[in-house]
Amino acid sequence: MENRRQAVERNYNWIIHVVLIAASVVMIIPFGWMILTSFKTVTEATQIPVKIFPSHPDFGSYAKAFEKTDFKHYYLNTAFTALMKTVFPVLFSSMAAYAFARIRFPGRTLLFFVIISVMMVPNPVFYTPQYLLMSKWGLVNSVTALWICALVSPFATFMLRQFFLGISKELEEAAILDGCNPFQTFRYIMLPLVKSALVAIVIIQLLWSWNELQWPLIINSSPDKLTLSSGLATLVSMFSTNYPILMAGALMAVIPMIILFFIFQKKFIEGVAFSAHKG
Amino acid sequence: MNSRSRYVWAYIMIAPTLLGTVLFWSWPAFYSIYLSFLKSENFGMVNHWVGLANYEKLFKDKEFWKNLGNTLYYMVLFVPLTLVFSTFFAVLLNAKIRGLSAYRVIFFLPQVTMPAAAAMVWVVLFARDYGFINYLLGTHVAWISDTRFAMFALVIVGVWGAIGLNMLLILAGLQGIPKALYEAASIDGAVRFRKFRYITLPLLTPTLFFTTIVLMIGATQVFDSIYLLIGKTNVALPEVRSLVYAYYQNSFVYYDQNYGAAIVDMLLVINLILTGLQFAFQKKWVTYD
Amino acid sequence: MAFRKKAWLSGVGMTVAAALALTGCGSNDSNGGNASSTTNNAAGGNAASASKENVTLTYTIWDQLQQPAMEAIGKEFTAENPNIKVKVEVIPWNDYWTKMSAAAPAGTLPDVFWMHSGQFVKYASGKFLEPITDKVQAGEINMDDYAANLGSIYQLDGQNYAIPKDFDTIGLAYNKELFDQAGVPYPDDTWDYAKLAEAAKQLSQPDKGIYGFAAKMDTQGGYWNDMLANGGSIISADGTKSGYDDPASIEALQARYQMILDKASPSHQQMTDTDSTEMFKSGKIAMIFEGDWRTTDIDGSDIIKGKWNWAPLPKGKAKRGDIINGLGNVMSASGKHKDEAWQFLKFLGSKRAAEITAQMGAAIPAFKDTQAAWVQSKPQLNLQVFIDQAADATPYPAGTKAYPVWFPKESEIMAQAWGGKISIEEGAKQVAAMMNQAIADNK
Repeated sequence: MENRRQAVERNYNWIIHVVLIAASVVMIIPFGWMILTSFKTVTEATQIPVKIFPSHPDFGSYAKAFEKTDFKHYYLNTAFTALMKTVFPVLFSSMAAYAFARIRFPGRTLLFFVIISVMMVPNPVFYTPQYLLMSKWGLVNSVTALWICALVSPFATFMLRQFFLGISKELEEAAILDGCNPFQTFRYIMLPLVKSALVAIVIIQLLWSWNELQWPLIINSSPDKLTLSSGLATLVSMFSTNYPILMAGALMAVIPMIILFFIFQKKFIEGVAFSAHKG
Repeated sequence: MNSRSRYVWAYIMIAPTLLGTVLFWSWPAFYSIYLSFLKSENFGMVNHWVGLANYEKLFKDKEFWKNLGNTLYYMVLFVPLTLVFSTFFAVLLNAKIRGLSAYRVIFFLPQVTMPAAAAMVWVVLFARDYGFINYLLGTHVAWISDTRFAMFALVIVGVWGAIGLNMLLILAGLQGIPKALYEAASIDGAVRFRKFRYITLPLLTPTLFFTTIVLMIGATQVFDSIYLLIGKTNVALPEVRSLVYAYYQNSFVYYDQNYGAAIVDMLLVINLILTGLQFAFQKKWVTYD
Repeated sequence: MAFRKKAWLSGVGMTVAAALALTGCGSNDSNGGNASSTTNNAAGGNAASASKENVTLTYTIWDQLQQPAMEAIGKEFTAENPNIKVKVEVIPWNDYWTKMSAAAPAGTLPDVFWMHSGQFVKYASGKFLEPITDKVQAGEINMDDYAANLGSIYQLDGQNYAIPKDFDTIGLAYNKELFDQAGVPYPDDTWDYAKLAEAAKQLSQPDKGIYGFAAKMDTQGGYWNDMLANGGSIISADGTKSGYDDPASIEALQARYQMILDKASPSHQQMTDTDSTEMFKSGKIAMIFEGDWRTTDIDGSDIIKGKWNWAPLPKGKAKRGDIINGLGNVMSASGKHKDEAWQFLKFLGSKRAAEITAQMGAAIPAFKDTQAAWVQSKPQLNLQVFIDQAADATPYPAGTKAYPVWFPKESEIMAQAWGGKISIEEGAKQVAAMMNQAIADNK
């Protein structure tokens, strides 16, 4: 009887693989089409009936996308913005999260509520007032404007607090007996214990920052102040339906993150899954 | 160390986050509401108080109701489809098959793909005459410029991007269900579907509920795909225009930041309701943790 | 103010033509302006030596096709003023005014940038542009150097704000190969709209994806010309009332749309999937209305290079309805280097800058006597049609604060009509109501 059940299982597995492979193909088609189109000519890309493979693949569209738009700055600005939006929130949030989790001080509940309450507000609500603030500070159309509003992260504060709450108090008490002040306890005892959560936050911040469109679209206009995503929007305005160039640009914009993903896939998947527990 | 100096340390440690939050997030949230009571001229250089005039205009504006309807329609299509597909693939992947990590990576790929870039390639895939989708299906449909199909095209792009993550969350939920329960059921001779229906699904409910709320909140903010998939001169734009898209248009293309603020404040109300629901039910299910 | 507007509206088309005739567009004399450009340069050099600080000016434009020419002008300016560098930035037309309207109140407008007649009043009345009236009065720049009244477009309440850069008109581009295949004679100045529609049908082979005409949903490069030719209007002469609901306007719009119904043009959906000018460039369209500014772009297509040409727009019931628009260079009122910006602005208005613009085929320069060089920049093409058509052209419907509000909304409504969701008449009436509302709200 045991044998029969295993055989049935194996049969099912075969069907499962077929379904999963079919679904995988569907998931990958857009990437494949992006690559194929980027190597076609405009005529080939819009040919009827559909022509799947380019007849003379070359890098002409890449060269043109690179030459007509400021991809060098798009990369630099996107990377720099992602860096700022990762380092500072992680630094500030872990400090604040520790204090909220482990130190009893007057106003703790109220202040924590002040911080996490903004998590209930959808991002677009902030854009106009943040734009007006940037305007007042003369930062509209600057690289600084891309990251300054994201120096702190209520979300990261909330998540890290949960982690600190889950750590046993004994280590900490020993540190306090040794005469460590709260910051030293945080820095040398507690922070190393939440390393996995920090890695997850770094990955989420990186990914969100890399992919964000609306804010960079609103706040910056000069080609050398754009990010990859807002740069792509410019590319669309410039080349309307010249698909090979658009696809070359799109591919250039997504490649770095996809490479990072392949290298750190486990951390990525854990990190993003972790982020979904927001709120 | 006395407690007063611990207080001081606590305040120092929370100061950057607290000040930053108040300045960059809390204040703007309130200011957005204030803006909706103003009327500005000359690119916002001159403002005057108009009370509820923007809201009056909003509630009388057929386009606003249409946009609200579109946003909810998108949500109603996008959320269940994402849940069904994600659960389906999660159950398949939970069957201890080989190559799990490879499938996981492939399904997750759209999640790390910039939505702007993804929308751009979907434009090509969806094209009527030379689009790959019509080529595969043997159809001749103008997916993104036909008023009847544009919303579905948008939902397809959304679901494609969302399956990977939600599948993982549900997979984690599945793996949290004790194996012993299934073994007991196998002895009873329960078939696969009934196992799923009577054991898996009830135990998965908290995960599914949580996933649903997160998806709903995300769905109310759809913008990137509309901006890049459905162009400004697309006849289907009114059929898919979301609240956030209307906010962007009114605030930054039509130069009416105040009307834009009123639109986006309605989005705030919707989100508060959804978050309220989440809190209410989270308490109910706290025993599962 | 209304009076002044009316005056130039009626006057500018004719005066441009008169000026062009007087200054001899047909002549080859493109070196005639050396003397005046040298004086300009000397003035520039003096000012530069007064302030030796190294400065980089940002010059923002919306047409990437003109970027090489604008950069060449910038380079030449820097050669004469070594301490002032010029960085040319392109923000595509579709995003340009959204971006500028965000930058204006923030005080981050570029030092020098392109201005469009439609947007001008909004920016000038908002005090975002630096007036140049005193420089004009001091004789640093002579507004009479520019083809007729182009300078007057950028005047508001007696102040000057811009130095004319170029002007543009619309032409009919046609694919000679497709005409030869169908045995249809090439379009010429005798064509009227009936002939256009008839030829479009003859040239169409919808089963092969080839169409006689691109009846695109477009304003300046599209149905505005039809509406004017048919005796309709876009906006009343005093700028107080929309002309979209004029029966003659509606008739013109319907006639254009009919070409889609007749399968003499691709559908709106098809033209959403593939830009109609791109279709023309890949040899799938026999005729299309386009602005002179697309010449370099179209001629850059290997598929139709050498197989296409320009013709004048067809005549309508009332006249040949061609839109003429003049661009201006302006400087920001909140720029950090206004002295240097003025030096550059002045150079942009010089004959030398106009010559570079013309020789590189970038645009029809506004500076008198330099248009011929533009016509000769691509001798294989009949560029003269753009200059000739300026004679009976109608100015771009600008000059109000309402324009920036109604213009983006117009295309949204018309897309509903062009996509077949509402009738053309309904669409036109909705646009008229929307425009009248915008005019009332933005007095």
